[in-house]
Amino acid sequence: MAETILELKNIVKTFPGVKALSGIDFQLRSGEVHAICGENGAGKSTLMKVVCGVHKPDSGTMIVNGKEEKFSNPLEAYGKGVSIIFQETSLFEEMTVLDNLYLGHEMMKKIGPFSVIDYGAMKQKAEEIFKRLNTKIDLDAQVKSLGMAQKQMVEIAKALTFQANILIFDEPTASLTQREVTALFQIIENLKREGLGIVYISHRLEEIFEICDRVTVIRDGQYISTKDVKETNKDELVADMVGRKMGSYYPKANTKIGGELFRAEHYYDEGFLEDISFFVKKGEILGFSGLAGAGRTELMESICGLTGKAAGKLYLEGQEIEIHNYEEAMEHGIVYVSEDRGKYGLIVDMSVEKNISLPQLKKLKKQLDFLDIRKEKELGETYIREVGIKAPDGEFLVANLSGGNQQKVSVSRALALKPKLLLLDEPTRGVDVNAKSEIHKIISELTGQGLTIIMVSSELPELLGMCDRIYVMKDGSIAGCFDREEATQEAILSVALESKKGVGA
Amino acid sequence: MKTKKNFMTKEFYLFCFLVVIMLLLAVLAPGFYTLNNIMSILNSFSYILISAIGMNLIILTGNIDVSTGALISVVALACAAIGKMGVPFAGLLVAAMILGALLSTLNGLFITGLKIPAIVATLATTQIFQGVLPLTVEGSIYDLPASFTWLAFKAKIFGVVPASVLICLIVTVFFLLFTKYSRFVKKLYAIGNNRNGARLAGINVDRTVVLSYTIAGALFGITALIVATAGQRVTTTMGTGMEMTFIAAVVLGGTSSSGGSGKLIGTVIGAFILAIVAPAINFLGISPNWADAVKGAIILISVVVSASRNRKRKRVVPAGQKLQTGGGVS
Amino acid sequence: MTKKRWKFSFNAALFLIWLILFGFIAIKAPNFLKPNYLISVMLRNIIEIGMVALPMTLIIITGGIDLSVGNIMVLSCMLGGMAATAAGDVAAVLVTLLVGVLCGILNGLLIAKVKITPMVTTLATMYLYLGLARGITRGDSIYAYPFAAFMGNTVVLGLPIQIWLYILLAVIFVYVLSKTTLGRKIYSIGLNPNAARYAGIKTDRILIGIYALAGLICALAAFIWLGRFTSIKYDAGTNFNLKVITVVVLGGTSINGGIGDMKGTILGTLIIATLNSGLTVLNIPIDVQTIVQGAVLMIALISYAVLNERAKKKKILKVEDAKNAG
Repeated sequence: MAETILELKNIVKTFPGVKALSGIDFQLRSGEVHAICGENGAGKSTLMKVVCGVHKPDSGTMIVNGKEEKFSNPLEAYGKGVSIIFQETSLFEEMTVLDNLYLGHEMMKKIGPFSVIDYGAMKQKAEEIFKRLNTKIDLDAQVKSLGMAQKQMVEIAKALTFQANILIFDEPTASLTQREVTALFQIIENLKREGLGIVYISHRLEEIFEICDRVTVIRDGQYISTKDVKETNKDELVADMVGRKMGSYYPKANTKIGGELFRAEHYYDEGFLEDISFFVKKGEILGFSGLAGAGRTELMESICGLTGKAAGKLYLEGQEIEIHNYEEAMEHGIVYVSEDRGKYGLIVDMSVEKNISLPQLKKLKKQLDFLDIRKEKELGETYIREVGIKAPDGEFLVANLSGGNQQKVSVSRALALKPKLLLLDEPTRGVDVNAKSEIHKIISELTGQGLTIIMVSSELPELLGMCDRIYVMKDGSIAGCFDREEATQEAILSVALESKKGVGA
Repeated sequence: MKTKKNFMTKEFYLFCFLVVIMLLLAVLAPGFYTLNNIMSILNSFSYILISAIGMNLIILTGNIDVSTGALISVVALACAAIGKMGVPFAGLLVAAMILGALLSTLNGLFITGLKIPAIVATLATTQIFQGVLPLTVEGSIYDLPASFTWLAFKAKIFGVVPASVLICLIVTVFFLLFTKYSRFVKKLYAIGNNRNGARLAGINVDRTVVLSYTIAGALFGITALIVATAGQRVTTTMGTGMEMTFIAAVVLGGTSSSGGSGKLIGTVIGAFILAIVAPAINFLGISPNWADAVKGAIILISVVVSASRNRKRKRVVPAGQKLQTGGGVS
Repeated sequence: MTKKRWKFSFNAALFLIWLILFGFIAIKAPNFLKPNYLISVMLRNIIEIGMVALPMTLIIITGGIDLSVGNIMVLSCMLGGMAATAAGDVAAVLVTLLVGVLCGILNGLLIAKVKITPMVTTLATMYLYLGLARGITRGDSIYAYPFAAFMGNTVVLGLPIQIWLYILLAVIFVYVLSKTTLGRKIYSIGLNPNAARYAGIKTDRILIGIYALAGLICALAAFIWLGRFTSIKYDAGTNFNLKVITVVVLGGTSINGGIGDMKGTILGTLIIATLNSGLTVLNIPIDVQTIVQGAVLMIALISYAVLNERAKKKKILKVEDAKNAG
């Protein structure tokens, strides 16, 4: 009865510069939930995008419901019974829920010579689907007025408007609350009982043990293992995912930690941050952990004067300071490296040296407003050498660098400002393993030279490996603080997830 | 369930604004609601609206057309040339729509084929359209026969309502239905909202955009004919500057210039407000010279109001951000 | 490296086009080469467009556009003219400049602070300024006063004064865009406004500043315009905006922002000036200029599109090279 409905054989996909997938095998049976797990950048999402036709594979075969298929866009895949619920929603925000459900395959009826959209039939069908999903959503509401969880329901419902028997969930719980996750799992359970095959992409191991039947691990674009969930355990999976010992990755230097450098007291930002107080000592690496939306990025941006007004007191080296805009923060020696390199960090269509000089054009002025191009060049070359950016020269466009090297440009740009306090937001997101360890090494060396660093990261091992102290944020406030010795993944997660106020410091 | 029926839409506010103006006019400008005046307002409303509907289709996809005025001049002159041969109105209408559609399709092809931003591409075609005219005629075509001006002078329904109003009504009703019941317009919204998403949903973006220009072109053609037949002389500058009025009607009607949102009914109200300004000012005893300033102020206020309504502070969590437990934990 | 070379060759190509045009017309109609014709027809007629094209280049590089320039020019001209009749020339100059700058600041505030798209903002203010000019003058013409006449008709060292002014402004703008930190900031706003802000650049202030600058230059052009024509009506600015944008786009500035060059704009101005006056001298009806102008713009756009595609391909190749090497 449980026949194989989706089979991938030896899928290979390369992007310019990266071999994203090298020979992945995968089978999905009807009536099962099959997890795909792996670290960030292991190739989980890429694999599923290949399956549903967003990317074309370089080689390999795909058998869907017994037939070999190649899809050129998701709509084609939907038609053959494969539906994907994307990580970033692919909905049309200004359009109504109903329009979104049926976009591109509206139900039509004939009125005289005209064929017109049959809203009645679509509504009826949509209501049936939402009933099946046990949710109520106003079909005439604009999608932009919905919450994250509701949008996800719309995505799921959209998948079901096709007669899909293969559903792919790409990190569905990333931005859901605990209650919403429970509801989602119930729905997945029901769909499974109806005989659908479900691919569940996640790196939250607890979820996999809660709802999945089998689990396939991929690492660095390679197939590692497929196991029955009942016959494996977390440690085994982690070993498969990581493939190496954790400790060796984090070259934390033993540095002298001095007195207090920076302190925030009763820091508020209406709607985002609530009564935050923390401090960081000279030479320390301070970590900030927490779930998505806990307010870590907002805190960093707010300190730097990037998000307008906030209330509260900031002290630098014992002196109270006021920061109204980012320029003032830089003058105080507080520099921020954004989590979203492409959007807020670098100007990718400019050269490396121009990116490095951008925040300190003021210092590179000659008479009037003229730019000292020779000085700029020197500055660029110095940091290309010191940080080890793999670019032929300073005039090389940032867009042509790899993710890791782009991140190094980001970091060196911050260093060029000679900061006292460096705020790094997700410094290793989206960079490959090698660049990651290089960046960690740089961070380590910097503290050795007396720089103080605050690091925001969603990767707990990174924080545990690098930081002297870790604050945990939850819902815009600080939920706990751990010293290096007492910090464990379990302890931090329990604070981040359950928010027992008063844990830790 | 949480989302209440959104009654307080932009279009609703705009409609209220229009009603208030009309009520005020009833009180302050006693002569305003005479039959003649209403008919003349309706006439100018009709040709603005027909083209504004076309412009709305174009703007929905996030594109624009600044060549409309020049295109209308071309079509108007061509109509006059054909009309001089005594071709009846029906023939002129078909010719105007076909010519308009052809010229506008060129715009669409230029934009999609070469991936040139719409505003620049249509800027170039504006100059070409404008230049084509003097090549063919010396300034204007005049002494047009009665068959040509039939629409403006003879074709009155019940002896009072200009036929152009009837044409406008047919076009408007057709497009209100078309917007609701066709797949095509859904595609336009989808493209304006999320171009990439539309492509992923299997929509042929380029072809859809070109088609939107084609349909709009046919509508511009109708406007050209109405404008051309209003007198016995058709000049080469007949349509100059009109595109701005159409764009203004669309923007005033709440359609976002970046595409993807805005209702056709808003454009209808927007066109009506713009058509009513000049006569209203006249009847209020203000110099007609202030009409453009009032139009400008109305457009400006409406976009400022809608911009500040939308400017709730919101920050979106970037996709893909979550707590990553690289180790075995629960 | 490649980028620099490409840009260089691009301006050279524009220059070559201009030379060919110029040569062709000169051969066909030797009258064209008379200094008097070149100066007082070819150059003098384009000055206002050329001047406003300079700040327009900055605006377009930031990813914006200003459709209201023609009407700012007319409105400042009108109010200045009225001030001249009421209170003399000094008042006229002050009022003209002030009105220009205020109109520009209003544009800038709406764009940077209220966050309305530049196109919609300036479309609306275009109507507003046009309407104000019409309403205030009740549709009547405004006549040149001594200072405007001076700006429009004086000859200094063999060249009309407005040409000297244009040369001065052009030099300043070339240097500002290519050599100063302000120029660098303007490019960065056009390429990625968020990243510019996150690099500590006060993007709002710069945007308001350049729209105000455009207003100021419009006011300067207003003196010359009024002096040259001796009388102006409210609708004189119609189509001026599109002419200015044509010159800028012809000069290779991308309407999407981030890419562009002041020298290109200047060459674009020269090409259009040569075309307009050359066709006149060739006895081709004045109206035909438009079609040629449109065709030139279209050819330019097509070649930019082709060049862009090629540049993209080159980029990919380069990435692969870098990968193979590293």
